[in-house]
Amino acid sequence: MKRNLCCSLVITLFLISSAYGVKVGESAPEFQVTDSNGQVHKLSENRGKFVVLEWHNNGCPYTAKHYESRNMQRLQKEWTSKGVVWFTVISSAPGKQGYVTAQQENEYLKAMNASPTAALLDPQGDVGRLYSAKTTPHMFVVNPAGVLIYDGAIDSKPTTDQADIASAQNYVSQALGEATAGKAVSVPTSRPYGCSVKYAH
Amino acid sequence: MLNRFFIRPLGIFLASAVWLFLPTPGSADQPADEHVKLELISEQDAIVPGKDLWLGFRFDLQREWHTYWINPGDSGEAPRIEWQLPAGFQAGAIQWPYPERLSTPPFADYGYEDQVLLMAPVRPPAQSREGELQKIAATVRYLVCRDVCIPGQKQLELSLRVKSAAAASPAGELFRSARARLPSPAPASWKISAASRGAEFILDLKTGKSAMVPQFFPLQAEQIENGARQDASMLPDGIRLHLKKSKHLLKPIPRLKGVIVLASGKAYVVDVPVSQARKSGRKQ
Repeated sequence: MKRNLCCSLVITLFLISSAYGVKVGESAPEFQVTDSNGQVHKLSENRGKFVVLEWHNNGCPYTAKHYESRNMQRLQKEWTSKGVVWFTVISSAPGKQGYVTAQQENEYLKAMNASPTAALLDPQGDVGRLYSAKTTPHMFVVNPAGVLIYDGAIDSKPTTDQADIASAQNYVSQALGEATAGKAVSVPTSRPYGCSVKYAH
Repeated sequence: MLNRFFIRPLGIFLASAVWLFLPTPGSADQPADEHVKLELISEQDAIVPGKDLWLGFRFDLQREWHTYWINPGDSGEAPRIEWQLPAGFQAGAIQWPYPERLSTPPFADYGYEDQVLLMAPVRPPAQSREGELQKIAATVRYLVCRDVCIPGQKQLELSLRVKSAAAASPAGELFRSARARLPSPAPASWKISAASRGAEFILDLKTGKSAMVPQFFPLQAEQIENGARQDASMLPDGIRLHLKKSKHLLKPIPRLKGVIVLASGKAYVVDVPVSQARKSGRKQ
């Protein structure tokens, strides 16, 4: 009886914490999503590698800031060339800003010269809600052991102004740089900034 | 077929032609202008040497659109103001009226719908010469959102003459009603305290009365979960609010700062140390 109570408490606590998404220092939750080429990806298939999750909405001015300046593409190129897996995740619901079909997303990636490992289509918002993704962009970094090591903004300047990128501290590059060098991540969380994720309600 | 090949390049040509004539940022027509009218207004009709002059940025928002508080919450961005003042003039801090909670469960933003006046004092130098016309200007960068968001930038200006005395301007009433939404310091008889307890902050407001339902707005981002319910429980001499800690909060915070808004619409400043020790007290 006592044991049962203890277990149900643990389960309740787990449910409460999962309702608010994953926390830095905890295991990043598993997902299974189809990308814009029809390929299915699971987070767990990438154990042994760093994984970046980038929440995306092509109509959001904060996303545009980092794509029109080529900042995001530069980060994708730099870190995927070093063996990091980069997933762009689109959680906009059909009919909402940023929703794209697989073909539209492939055209966008080509036009923008973007090179994430894959663009994951999440129109139901399941992965977004699982991670409690709030904004576009909202960035997460998972380490090779599957533990979340960064959750927050792309950088330290929460504006739509491209001119701010050069002087901003890029938290994603900093987290990846420190973690790949075997150091602790100095800024493991920050306030993600941008447009709200356009979930289905 | 011919049509399609003709019309597309024509469209591109027209689009680029329009682009050439688009005004530079800061001038009149930009997409955000459709959803918000912005004005720089003065409480008084003249500048009095050495005396604070209250100026305000008035946002008149289209229905369903909003802009943001100093802490915008889970998304969005607060307006930013950059003054261009005559020599010797000094601007004080923007006074932010308390916001509305703009809820999109499980998230929430803090902002303003309809209208808001962001006011600030500007102090002219004591030796300003009477009769002189002074131009006060500012650049406002802001974000307006409905479901989608549009950034805007507006250059505003106002010219006022220096006089020995000033009268209320026609906009004076707007300042009076905006002041009613500014948080006041809490009455001296109140006791406000905060404690960190597990996944929550406990905010106790001992006001002598228990019949009120307050709402807490955090001044700093990522201290509490903005979208979480703020459960209230009665204390014999006040009320206790349960605030869920943000999952982004990895270290203890020394102080909890924000604004408490009572059901009456009166708002008070909260700025208290957070006790880390478990307080012994009656269970709710």
